Amino acid sequence: MSTHTIRVTVNGTEHEAEVPARLTLADFLRERLDLTATHLGCEHGVCGACTILLDGETARSCIMLAAQADGSEITTLEGVVAEDEDLHPVQQAFWDRHGLQCGFCTPGIIMSTLELLREHPQPTREQIDDALGGHLCRCTGYVKIVEAVEQAAGVLSGSRA
Amino acid sequence: MKPAAFDYAAPTSLDEALQLLAANDTAKVLAGGQSLIPLLNLRLAAPELLVDLRRVPGLNEIARQGDELVIGATVRQRQAERDPLVAEAAPLVTAALAEVGHPQIRSRGTVGGSIAHADPAAELPAALVALDGRVIARGPGGERSIAAADFYLGFLTTALDDDEILVAVALPAAPPRTGAACVEIAQRAGDYAACGAVAQVTLGDAGTIAQARVALIGATDRPVRAAAVEEALAGGASIADAAGHAGDGVEPIDDPRVPSAYRTHLAGVVTRRALEQARSRAA
Amino acid sequence: MSGGDGRPFGAPLKRKEDPRLLRGRGKYISDIKLHGMLHATVVRSPHPHAEIRGIDTAALLADPRCMAVLTAADFEDMPELVCIDAEETTLPFLQPALARDKVRYVGEPVAVIVAEDRYDAEDLMTLLEVDYAPLPAVVDPERALEPDAPILHFQSNLTDTLHYSDGDAAGALASAPHVLRERFATQRYAGMPMETRGVIASYEERSGFTLYSSTQVPNGVKTNLQTALGLPENGIRVIAPDLGGGFGVKLQIYPEEILLCRIAQRVKRPVKWIEDRWEHFVSTTHGREQFHDVEVGYDDEGRILAIRDDCVTNTGAYLQSLTMVEPFIGVCMLTGPYHLENFEATAKVVMTNKTPMNPFRGVGHVQAAFTMERIIDSVAADLGLDPVQVRLRNMIQPEQLPLNRKFGNVLAGTIVYDSGDYPTCLKKAAALAGHADFADEQEQARAEGRYIGMGIGCFVEETGLGPYESGTVRVEPSGKITVLTGACSSGQGHATTLAQIAADELSVDMDDIQVLHGDTDLVRFGVGTYASRTAAVGGTAVRQAAGKAKDRAAFIAGQLLEVDPVDLELRDGAFTVAGSPGASVSLADVATAVAPGSPLPEGVADYGLEATDVFHPKTNTFAYGVHVATVEVDIETGVVKHLRHVVVNDSGRVINPLILEGQVQGGVALGVGGALLEEILYDDDGQPRNPNFMDYLVPGVQNVSPEIVVEHMEIPTPLNPDGIKGGGEGGAVGAPAAIANAVANAIRPARIAATPLFPARVHEAIVAAGLGATVEGTKS
Repeated sequence: MSTHTIRVTVNGTEHEAEVPARLTLADFLRERLDLTATHLGCEHGVCGACTILLDGETARSCIMLAAQADGSEITTLEGVVAEDEDLHPVQQAFWDRHGLQCGFCTPGIIMSTLELLREHPQPTREQIDDALGGHLCRCTGYVKIVEAVEQAAGVLSGSRA
Repeated sequence: MKPAAFDYAAPTSLDEALQLLAANDTAKVLAGGQSLIPLLNLRLAAPELLVDLRRVPGLNEIARQGDELVIGATVRQRQAERDPLVAEAAPLVTAALAEVGHPQIRSRGTVGGSIAHADPAAELPAALVALDGRVIARGPGGERSIAAADFYLGFLTTALDDDEILVAVALPAAPPRTGAACVEIAQRAGDYAACGAVAQVTLGDAGTIAQARVALIGATDRPVRAAAVEEALAGGASIADAAGHAGDGVEPIDDPRVPSAYRTHLAGVVTRRALEQARSRAA
Repeated sequence: MSGGDGRPFGAPLKRKEDPRLLRGRGKYISDIKLHGMLHATVVRSPHPHAEIRGIDTAALLADPRCMAVLTAADFEDMPELVCIDAEETTLPFLQPALARDKVRYVGEPVAVIVAEDRYDAEDLMTLLEVDYAPLPAVVDPERALEPDAPILHFQSNLTDTLHYSDGDAAGALASAPHVLRERFATQRYAGMPMETRGVIASYEERSGFTLYSSTQVPNGVKTNLQTALGLPENGIRVIAPDLGGGFGVKLQIYPEEILLCRIAQRVKRPVKWIEDRWEHFVSTTHGREQFHDVEVGYDDEGRILAIRDDCVTNTGAYLQSLTMVEPFIGVCMLTGPYHLENFEATAKVVMTNKTPMNPFRGVGHVQAAFTMERIIDSVAADLGLDPVQVRLRNMIQPEQLPLNRKFGNVLAGTIVYDSGDYPTCLKKAAALAGHADFADEQEQARAEGRYIGMGIGCFVEETGLGPYESGTVRVEPSGKITVLTGACSSGQGHATTLAQIAADELSVDMDDIQVLHGDTDLVRFGVGTYASRTAAVGGTAVRQAAGKAKDRAAFIAGQLLEVDPVDLELRDGAFTVAGSPGASVSLADVATAVAPGSPLPEGVADYGLEATDVFHPKTNTFAYGVHVATVEVDIETGVVKHLRHVVVNDSGRVINPLILEGQVQGGVALGVGGALLEEILYDDDGQPRNPNFMDYLVPGVQNVSPEIVVEHMEIPTPLNPDGIKGGGEGGAVGAPAAIANAVANAIRPARIAATPLFPARVHEAIVAAGLGATVEGTKS
């Protein structure tokens, strides 16, 4: 099995690594870089827990090979704000509105929310549903997740006004 | 679930990609990976080599060429979905793309990948078939064009040879006064549909339907042109009556959640709804 | 924010656990890495039923990547998973940790392989040669009871039959003016947390075994492992990290916990196994599959006079820890909030070649509520009566509580409804949902060709189960407070709710309290989280421990201030003398005064400021509620849209209404799945048909009503000092009944008697009722 040298920037830090062809991007992030916030719920691209930002766009890291990410910029949940920074308004909104319970699906949902609010600062309910439709949550029933997204939208678009 | 071992290559030219395919019987082309990698993770497929097209130039363009819209194989679905050229020249593709999976899938999935993967429940193959487009493939012997009607041979099976790569799809540009729609019945948005239909309608001077193109999603083992529906419309039938022919000549899939009789019934419903939506969108 | 009088109890406080989780610093089992860790994979039976003629490990052992392999041959005495609630009458069909001479379901563990990483371990699986001789399989429980059915274990596939009887059902049915006969079917589905199971086992001579496991019951797993591995209590420590959901499927010991310990001991390195999603579908327990053949006698006013219920539960291939609970509760809780003088039921527990069944969120109550609520609506529809009125006519009145229902659930004793007001709950829910005005809205919709319906689902549920739970409250000299609980969290916010109780008792800041759980070295006497018991039982233990600590602190403070403790007030973490400003002693001062290193204050006998309580509830409590769901049915396709949902929920006094609301909403979503989307399908040969998320449909955001309104009623239970009942499951219990009733209402007179209401099935019912039309004509 072939191995490949990849260069990726993850949460602002450049990495060079030798990876086997079949190592998934999710496992690269979790096992090689110890960035374990990206979770594996299914490994067949349905649950969305593994969602990250790849060159600014959401992607499912469980159905990507690390080798495919060579040359890319990746953001995971750990990179949304620095450890000593305040929570991002999206994170704060999820806290305020009780938008998480077990927290397992949350990282992927936050990444998709970040993309949604960047593209649609004042999203309609339909746009929120579209962005979150690819995320499964078993705990919350989604109501408070949507409330959190709406609060975050209000805060972010308010502060841009 | 982790994939079995394989080699990976990211060639920088189409020729190199073709050579790699020719040299290995089990090699598979990797574009977006949204269909292929789940299969690998589940160990339902075990190619020895993946040939990644991401560094092959010239495959990710969208261009109008004469009376065709040509979409390169590695154009991301998200890019195609937002492209104004596609919206203008192939509104059926735009409509179909909106139903493909979720945004997180479309950011990686490619037009060519979906077309070549040939999942009967996928939207883009049905659009290709409805539009009577053609697949442009390159192989060791050179380039060839495969008509949509000849392209889908069965479940996950196309007319592409193992050593060929789909490099683009060419679709007849939509005439003026054309509207398109994709209607699917699925319990969850983004899931594979129990049944769906793509429809493109072009209005004539009198405001009646001058041309209709309809194909079914997920009804049988391949996307299928609803020829009987189109003929009925051409013969002056109403949309509702024409839609009743959706199941003609179709051998529907049977499964515990979607039995075949119900699937046939749905075929008529989605066909009617897609035609109605397409007609209302025809300017 | 605070509760009614500024106190933390009752306040909708934000959770303490969230910032860490939101920053991505959760530590779930798959995140944990130990030095030198190896990875295991479990070889599982591909056959639903087969003899194992032999297992050949030669090729495997010859491969340098294989660090170890474990098969049944490695066990002289094969541990079996214990079934806690088996009775004398139960045939003991217990599951061995590894299959010996037979496999009985697809997914049953056959061997464990260890390698440096999971990718290699999966590669190695093909090298294990297992000689299977397939046997005929059976998946249908009725077929399993036929004389010529394949037998899974010995004698019979009928593990047990439970009988319940009160009054004279036969006589009452014979004389009833009306009799309804129907078969109500609930499908097989599962809790399906987003995080699968996982285990890391290590063994060191110095400290024995340490097991990390994604489990709801670390103390229970520890006790079971002691038995399985022949260990003393101090030979094993079990740690539950952050859990990505449990919902019941993680409430027992599983084979992998035993197997990983054995193999870790052999390889002398930590070994990790993370269940993948396919494994989860086939080897983590399922629930619900239950059929009720009922005969219901009723009068002209809709009063239910008698019910006879023949119930069959398909419990899969083995009895696991609490497999019997679903068959029991499905029957003994059938009558829910209603009177019934004449009741007769049998509950058959039937084994088939499917994955074993164990309780998950709502166990048994879901099917009971679905059956009973469909009965009530069918009766109301038959007589042309208002379904609210029919319910009120049948309901137990509040003044009749406490009410002994005469039947029992083996683990929980006789059912005695403790407190509540079912009629008021129903009226509130109906009003909140606008039930009285709905008929007009419905008629208008029908005129437009839209089919909307509203349905009610009432439930009563056993909560606050024993046997006990422990709480420890420790005050440090710094004034910081540690709370220990055996109630392990899987997302329910225990670190917040239990802190609220301690903060309430000790009058301290929430920020000064840290709740720890999930470590058997920390929590000696824990039990775990299931059956909606944490608030009622775990919370009471914390309340009582905090109370003991407070009493001790008051005594010590009294010694320090030279006053009678009776004259002391505790406010903002400090004792003051009533009416005497100035003199004050904080909890920190008290803890410092009894810290070792200096003599104890006069009259004080022991060091440290800490108290433990183990609360044994005398019996369990009964939460209840009413759901009202509104749906729209696409008459052409049978697709059901969940439009609105209202719940009036009484879980007794509420510690944190925000968290409880989240629990109810989440439960409702699970109920939507159960009503409309989810079914674990097997083909006739015993092969799972949809062990993945593409073909097994967990509800997404668009499947669940955007408004799930939850109103709390808080009639306390007399069974614990805070009056708490428990609310983790109610959402899942009442929702399927309400949704099914709403669908039946939307497309009446179509017959709705089974879930899930897949579109094809709804469409079939529509066509059978002569509603709508096929697409050839115009729709009605």
